[in-house]
Amino acid sequence: MRHLRAARARLAGIFTRDRAADDLRDELQSHLEMEIAENIRRGMPPDEARRKALLASGGLTQAAEAVRDQRGLPWAESIAADIRYALRALRHSRAFTAVVVITLALGIGANTAIFSVVHGVLLKPLPHREGDRLMYLRQSTDGPGQANISFSVPEVRDLRNGVKALAGIAEYSPWTLTLQGDNDAVRIDVGLVTGNYFEVMGLSPLLGRLTRPSDDGAGVPPVMILTHDYWMKRFGGDSSVVGRQVRLDGQSVTVIGVLQPAPFFPDRIDALLNMVVSPHHVGATMVQNRSHRMTEVVARLAPDAGVEQARTEVAAVYARMQSEYSEAYDPGSHYRVAIIPFKEALGERAQLTLWLLMAAAAFVMIISAANVVNLTLMRGVRREQELVVRAALGAGVGRLRRLLLVENLMLTLVGAVIGVLIAIGGVNLLVSLAARYSPRANEIRLDGAVFSFTLALSVALALLLSFVASLPKEGTFASAVAAGVRRMSGSLKKHRLQRALVVAQVAVSVVLLAGAGLLTRTMIHLSAVDNGLRAEEVLAMEVPLLTLSGGPSNGDVAAWYQSIMESDVVAKEQYERMRREIRALPGVNEVGVGSTIPLRSSGMGFEVKAEDKPLTVGEAVPRADVRTASPEYFRAAGIPLLAGREFSSTDQPRSGLVVIVNQTFADQFFSSQDPVGKRIAWTGELLRFSPISGDWRTIVGVVGNTHDGGPDAAPRAAVFMPFTQMLAIGGVVVIRADSSAAGLVSAATRVVHRVAPMAPIENVLTVAQIKDQSLSPRRLNAALVSSFSILAVIIAAVGIAGVLAFSVSARTDEIGIRMSLGAERGRVQRMILKEGSVLLAMGLVLGVAGAFFAAGVIRELLFGVAPHDPVTLFGVAIVMAGIGIVACWIPALRAARIDPAIAMRST
Amino acid sequence: MAEKLDVQQGTLALMILKTLQVLGPLHGYGVARRIEETSKNRLTVNYGTLYPALVKLEQEGFVTTEWRQSENNRRAKFYSLTPAGRKQLAREAREWHKTADLIAAFLAPKREAP
Repeated sequence: MRHLRAARARLAGIFTRDRAADDLRDELQSHLEMEIAENIRRGMPPDEARRKALLASGGLTQAAEAVRDQRGLPWAESIAADIRYALRALRHSRAFTAVVVITLALGIGANTAIFSVVHGVLLKPLPHREGDRLMYLRQSTDGPGQANISFSVPEVRDLRNGVKALAGIAEYSPWTLTLQGDNDAVRIDVGLVTGNYFEVMGLSPLLGRLTRPSDDGAGVPPVMILTHDYWMKRFGGDSSVVGRQVRLDGQSVTVIGVLQPAPFFPDRIDALLNMVVSPHHVGATMVQNRSHRMTEVVARLAPDAGVEQARTEVAAVYARMQSEYSEAYDPGSHYRVAIIPFKEALGERAQLTLWLLMAAAAFVMIISAANVVNLTLMRGVRREQELVVRAALGAGVGRLRRLLLVENLMLTLVGAVIGVLIAIGGVNLLVSLAARYSPRANEIRLDGAVFSFTLALSVALALLLSFVASLPKEGTFASAVAAGVRRMSGSLKKHRLQRALVVAQVAVSVVLLAGAGLLTRTMIHLSAVDNGLRAEEVLAMEVPLLTLSGGPSNGDVAAWYQSIMESDVVAKEQYERMRREIRALPGVNEVGVGSTIPLRSSGMGFEVKAEDKPLTVGEAVPRADVRTASPEYFRAAGIPLLAGREFSSTDQPRSGLVVIVNQTFADQFFSSQDPVGKRIAWTGELLRFSPISGDWRTIVGVVGNTHDGGPDAAPRAAVFMPFTQMLAIGGVVVIRADSSAAGLVSAATRVVHRVAPMAPIENVLTVAQIKDQSLSPRRLNAALVSSFSILAVIIAAVGIAGVLAFSVSARTDEIGIRMSLGAERGRVQRMILKEGSVLLAMGLVLGVAGAFFAAGVIRELLFGVAPHDPVTLFGVAIVMAGIGIVACWIPALRAARIDPAIAMRST
Repeated sequence: MAEKLDVQQGTLALMILKTLQVLGPLHGYGVARRIEETSKNRLTVNYGTLYPALVKLEQEGFVTTEWRQSENNRRAKFYSLTPAGRKQLAREAREWHKTADLIAAFLAPKREAP
């Protein structure tokens, strides 16, 4: 209490300074007068009385100061004085301040921006309750596109019964539905979930309620929960949406709630529904067949269990499943299951890229900091005289250190403020980058955690800067002044630190440059990849007309199948009308219809076999992507026909079954033979649940490969069936234009709307756009690392030039003597150049070694270029050496221009 | 003349409080005088020690101040004890006696039985 009162009084004292000072002066004056009066009373003469009194007072000014210290907060005031002083000092060396602040701002800005992404996407705790205990289960097999084949309901059931370390296991099945509005229809991505899903995930409703176990199974009303994003996007955040009926694939579904914002995996979704909305999901095939895998699995660790325990138990249960139901686990495909924390699963794809960017940003920070340290050291040397004088006037080392700290804090904090502004500008760009890699991109914020990071970084930098300047020991200052010393630093030691910093800067720049070089070459290779299409001006529009998920009402499968067939006939008629009408538009060269957008994976694949080609034991069952195409599709998309014929109008539902395969498929099955005329058939467990028959189909043609998995993925085996011999799944109109594909968008859209007014149109893309979509994240990635490395090189070059210039100015006397003794200018210049080249060479060697190591880490991000690509490393070293030598040249020229007469006279 | 001692900070506060208790409201000069007289001029109290101590006591709420006329018609700042100051004085005096007794007992020439 007493201290609190005193503290308050002292704090108030800071602000009532002037009044208190007047009061104190009066009081001391009255004290002095009383003392004088007393002395006179004792018989002293007035002058003597006054002198004695003043003597006894011990000095009025000192007393006033002592009281002032007691009254206010002396440290706060002296810090205020330090700040005033620092401002003055920085104002005096404007160039220094500007260079330091800009260098720091760039470093801090880059780090703040990248850290905000790393934090939002990888580090921040999940919004789910106890999100750290949430696990994601993944089943995979060998082969392209088989990294995540998800689970079947019987598999989930076995896991649920057998794994005690997982308290809850929930099912989540990604699905697409058509949401019918009053005058339009949109496709929405949804998750069909079990009733325990939200409990397991630890998610709460924002509005209304979520599903519960009573919503499971058949015979319950279908209900829908909107994700936060979709609720905002489609319904504008209208809370009256809860309780509303919407039409989904012809069924009436009740919206029962809105979910809190949360990331979804593997993909973003718009809504979650109970399983009943898809009769297929509650039907016998789905529920009973072990090979019918279309369910994602999330689980929550039991309260006392750890990840390792869960992993062991899952492995045991899985091994039992494999031995018990061997028909569902072809040994050649290497079925396996992994259990990973949900947070890691969410960050999986983003991880490497983001840590790479964070490392690049950290490198820029290191180089900036090294430069600022060097600048500070040089300025420190120039200021030694000033510091010596201040010390002689009574400032202790501690006080001087604090002065430096305040000065450096002001530099780093101003740098931080500008850096944060840079980060605010850059973060939107980064969010769009992160969105390609992570479902959590919308969680990226410049929030408290990010600002704390920035602040901690700035303070750490300020501390570093303040403590590299070595202040002499207490007490040696005064003697230094007495001895007339102008400079008293151990110059050699400091020089060594500066040189080491330059070497480090060069080395780090080389590492960054090498990374940028590798990523840029990756980009060049990727964009040079032949995607397989022989045409550029192609427009694709996805117009799904056929709905498969309506399901049998009252369990009448035959009637349901009949309705699908009828809908298929209507859809095919509509597609044909669209095709003809778009074909008639001016500027259209060809129009085809098929299941899938060119250069995109169909997402549907089955096991496949060729006649008279039995599998050898242990060989993985071959699979191929299922696609359909009208006769014109290949010409419209620019896919070249390599052998045989295209589909023709004679390939009708009742004529002989035919297929066209791609080059990869042909190579895989008929390496040396002509595949045309051979017969293949779809096969496998899954076929039973598809509308595709396992009949033999004759290969009539071979087409070229297209890079459907992106330019860096090997082409997959694909089998095209005639559009007429298969249900009109997907539904993509491919238009080849005479000149500009993009120019046809509105005319083609009008045709589609005229033919099928209620049809959803999605993914209207030109081939150029498709290519760009697969490249843009990597291009941005390469561009970011490149700009970081350019920044680093510039800062490093300034660093080299600065240190050499400083060295030249420190050696002016020596150079003057050399020159007056007959050294030529050229020789002086070479001397300085040599000094710089040694540092440069050391930096280059270290940097190339570092790059050699670092490149191995980013191996996965490279394409078409080896991590230790000698051309890149050599090129980078040459570039850095060139820039470094230019940076050395400037101070070397200055050294050569030193006039010996002036140099000697000024000593 | 005996060697003069500078008064110690901690004890000065106690002396000031005691002086104010004995003499009632008093100005800084009076306090200094009184302390010097009581110590038979063995202590000197200069401004630089006295006034910070007075400010501190005021901040802690043990004394209040007021400008008024002194006995010989000068304007001076008078310090007077507050109730909290009285309590503090009692407490510190008690502490001091305890410490003094302890030190005295400690320093008393007394030989332990072997």
